[in-house]
Amino acid sequence: MKNRLKVMRAERDWSQQDLAEQLGVSRQSVNAIETGKYDPSLPLAFRIADVFELPIEEIFLRDEA
Amino acid sequence: MTAQQAMPRPLLWSALFIINMALIAAAHIFDVIEQPVPIILIALNMGLLVPMTRAAKARQELKGAMSPALRVYNRRVLFVMVIYMVAMIGGGNLSHLVADGSPAMWALAIAPLVPLMGMIWTMYRYLQEEDDEYLRHRATTGALFGLALILVLGTIWGFLEMYGLVGHIWSWWVFPVWAIGLGIGMCFQRAKGEEE
Repeated sequence: MKNRLKVMRAERDWSQQDLAEQLGVSRQSVNAIETGKYDPSLPLAFRIADVFELPIEEIFLRDEA
Repeated sequence: MTAQQAMPRPLLWSALFIINMALIAAAHIFDVIEQPVPIILIALNMGLLVPMTRAAKARQELKGAMSPALRVYNRRVLFVMVIYMVAMIGGGNLSHLVADGSPAMWALAIAPLVPLMGMIWTMYRYLQEEDDEYLRHRATTGALFGLALILVLGTIWGFLEMYGLVGHIWSWWVFPVWAIGLGIGMCFQRAKGEEE
């Protein structure tokens, strides 16, 4: 699943560590999600949406069919 | 993390551990050493798992892959490994003093099961206590990789032995091999995920 995490993080001038601390996860978790190597669970996806104050579908994008 | 900071290399310790194990096995197979020397050497070689675990922990800290549950897990693993070494070295040194088939011999043989159960409990507790779902996923995948490794090696060795192509080996090798597989599986995932 694609996502806009890296762009949105850059817009806010947050490092991966900054975001990880806000989410309460490891920096490597943020890295894995950001690079598309790991798809977060629904609860974590909602937490990410809460941190960015955006709906989930503006962060995570459907894969092209 | 700074560019000048030396990155700990747990895989180097792992490689040294595996090479030592292979040399001990070869020396035993070709009758260069006799019991209880091999089991004592193996137990001493297990001591390498301590710096290996410490290097892995330091690397996890530097790579931002550490969590409170993982710190507790690492401490428990080190403790269990020390008990395992004591059980193996103790058994190797005492076995010739104990009568064959006696209750004491049974106790010596079963003693390593205590730290082994401790290791299984440690892994179970870690999976229960880890709040970081990605780290939990990584540990689960690593454990499955370790399981796959012992299934493949155990099965192929069994057939090679059945056809008289290789000698018999004691089946307690499954635990160290599983632990090595777990480490390799987790390192492999970490290598794939290292981008920033």
